[in-house]
Amino acid sequence: MPAILEVKGLKTQFIVRGGIVRAVDGIDFRVNRGETVGIVGESGSGKSMTALSILRLVPEPGKIVAGSITFDGRDVLALNDDELRKFRGNDISMIFQDPMSSLNPVLKVGYQIEEAMKAHDRFTPEEAKARVPLLLRRVRIPEPERRAHEYPHQFSGGMRQRAMIAMGLSNEPEVLIADEPTTALDVTVQAQILEQLRDLNRELGTAIVLITHNMAVVANICTWVVVMYAGRVVEQGPTEAIFRSPQHPYTWSLLRSIPRIDEKLGGKLLTIKGMPPDLTNLPPGCKFHPRCRFTVDRCFTEEPELMTVGPQHESRCWVQMDNVKDRDSDLRDTPQVFEAENATV
Amino acid sequence: MTTITPGTPGVNVGAPAAPSGTQDATDYSIAPEQVSLWQDAWRRFRRNKLALAGMGVFGLVVVTAIVSIFWTPYSLFQEGLGDITDPASWAHPLGIDGHTRDVLSFLMKGAQIVIEVGVLTAALTSLVGIAAGLAAGFFRGWVDSLISGITYIGYGIPNLLIAFLILFITNRPSIFNVIIALSVTSWMDMARLVRGQTLALREREFVEAARATGTKDFAIMARHVLPNALGPIIVQATFLIPQAILFEAFLSFLGFGLPSPDPSWGAMVADGLNDRFLAYHTMIVPSVALLVTLMAVNFIGDGLRDALDPRLKR
Repeated sequence: MPAILEVKGLKTQFIVRGGIVRAVDGIDFRVNRGETVGIVGESGSGKSMTALSILRLVPEPGKIVAGSITFDGRDVLALNDDELRKFRGNDISMIFQDPMSSLNPVLKVGYQIEEAMKAHDRFTPEEAKARVPLLLRRVRIPEPERRAHEYPHQFSGGMRQRAMIAMGLSNEPEVLIADEPTTALDVTVQAQILEQLRDLNRELGTAIVLITHNMAVVANICTWVVVMYAGRVVEQGPTEAIFRSPQHPYTWSLLRSIPRIDEKLGGKLLTIKGMPPDLTNLPPGCKFHPRCRFTVDRCFTEEPELMTVGPQHESRCWVQMDNVKDRDSDLRDTPQVFEAENATV
Repeated sequence: MTTITPGTPGVNVGAPAAPSGTQDATDYSIAPEQVSLWQDAWRRFRRNKLALAGMGVFGLVVVTAIVSIFWTPYSLFQEGLGDITDPASWAHPLGIDGHTRDVLSFLMKGAQIVIEVGVLTAALTSLVGIAAGLAAGFFRGWVDSLISGITYIGYGIPNLLIAFLILFITNRPSIFNVIIALSVTSWMDMARLVRGQTLALREREFVEAARATGTKDFAIMARHVLPNALGPIIVQATFLIPQAILFEAFLSFLGFGLPSPDPSWGAMVADGLNDRFLAYHTMIVPSVALLVTLMAVNFIGDGLRDALDPRLKR
C-alpha cells in the first residue's frame, strides 16, 4: 500500500536554559492510505510532539532540527507559510485532547465548522454552510440544524469532541491526527468516540493517527502500532503482532501492567519502576535500561537500532522477550533502581 | 423557525417554567437558564444601582448634546442679556456670565464637546490600542519589541508636552486636533491591555485548533482572540471617556483647547475664574457639570467591569 505520510529520522528539540530537551529524537514511521496507526507511550515520550511536528505546530522555543516528513510525495518541512496554512486542515487535520477548550467559547459551533471550511478553497461559502449540518449528522449529533446554532457551553464533552471531529473532517483530509481524543471523556463516551473514528475511517477512507497512552484504545481500532519511549520508537508492528508477542521489554511491561478481568484475585500487578528519563540528560546506552528488568551488559553502553523481530515487526532492544525464559518472575528487579528508591525514602 | 437560541427571552432550557408571578422569587439554580454573555452581563450590571444612575446621567448629557445642536435657550453670540451679578431667574436658570451671555446655553453646547471629545477619543484610542496590542501579542518577536518599545517611550513622555506640541504644530485648535492630541497620548494603556490578553489567548487550545485547521492569522485574531478579550477592552474603553473629557477640559482651562466660540466646560471654568470677584456661579456650574459627568462615566465603567469580569461572578 502506498504511504500517504512518512516520517524519517525526525528530531524535535527545545533549547532551554537547562540544555537541550530532546522531545522527539529520531523517529521513523509511515502511515498508509486509509490505515489506522496508533502511537502509544507514557507522558513525555514525545508522541504529542511528533503530531505537532507533522503539522509544524511545535510551540516556541521548539524546533525541528533533523529528519524529513513527506506527505503524499511533498516535503512538509519545505513548505512556506502560505503552503503550510493550506496544508493544515486541508490535507491533514488534528483534533486535540481537551474538547472543553478546543472550541472557541464565544462562537457558535456551526460557525466554527463553517470557518474551518472557509479557510480553504475546497468548498464555496454556500457549500460550506450547507455542509455543516451534514457533518454534524455524520458524527451523530442529534438535531444538527438546531445544534449548529448553539454555543460550545451548551454541548456535552462527548458532543464537543464529535464537533471537533466534524471540524477536522470538514475539508475531507487524507489524514486525521487525533491527540488523545478520549482522555478527557468518561469511559462510555470514550467507546462511542472511538467507534465513531473507526466508522469514519471505514466510510471515508481517512487515515487516522491515534495518539494515546491507553493500550485498550489502540487494540480497539488500530491496525498498526508505534510504541514510543524517550522520543524514539522502541517497537512497531501490526497490532496483532504487538499484542500477541511484544518483543521490547517496555511494550511487554506496559501490557503486563494492565489488569485483566480473568486474573486471579490477589495476584500482583506488574509495575514499571522509576520515572521516564529526563529528556535534557538521557542515560547512555539504551534509554530504557534504568527501568528495565531484562538488561544485559550491552544495554548500559550501546543503544540498539530498530531490529526486525518478525514479519513487519521491529524492536529496539538487544533482548527479545520471546527468548527470556523466566520473564514472569516478579523477583527480577534492576538493582540500581532499587537502591535509588531506598535512598529517597 | 422556533429555534431556541441563547438570546431568546423567556425560554428556560432545562429549567422548569416558573409559574407566573413567582418569576423572581424562585431560584432555579439547579439548571441555570441559558443566556448569552451579554444578557448575563446586563443582569449583573442592572443590579449595580450606581452604574444605572451613571447611565442615566450620561444619557442626559447625550440628550442635552443632541438637543443643543438644534436648540439652545439663547444664541451663544447673544450678549447683553443681563449682568453677571444678577440672581438666577426663570429666564436664566443658571445665571449670566461675565460676557453678559446665558450660562445654560453655553453649558448645553458644551455637552456636545464633552460627548464628541469623550466618545471619539475613546473610539480612536481603542482602535489604535487594539490594533497595536493585537499585533504585538499575536506576532511577538520583533513586532512586539517595536510596539512595546514605542509604548514605553510613550509612557515616558509627559502627556501634556505631546498634546501641546501637537496643538502648536497644527497651530489651529479644533476638536479634531484636540482628539488627535488626546489619542496620541492615551493609546498605550489599551495597547498594553490587549497585548496581555492576546498573549494569554493565543496559547489557548481553540487558537491552536484554529491554526491546525489552516485558519489565516487575521481570521484567528479577528474571530478567536479579539472577541474573547472584548470584556476588558470595553471596560478600558469606558474609562478612556472620562480621561479624555478631563484632559480636554484641562487643556481648554489652560487656554490650549478649543477657540472661544466653542464652549468647552474647561474654558468656562477658566472664564469663571477671571470673574471670581464678581460671582462664583460661572465657575461652579461647569465644574459641577464636569464632576457629575466624570463620576457618571466612571460608575458605568465600574459597573461594566463587575458585569463583564467572569472572576467576580457570583
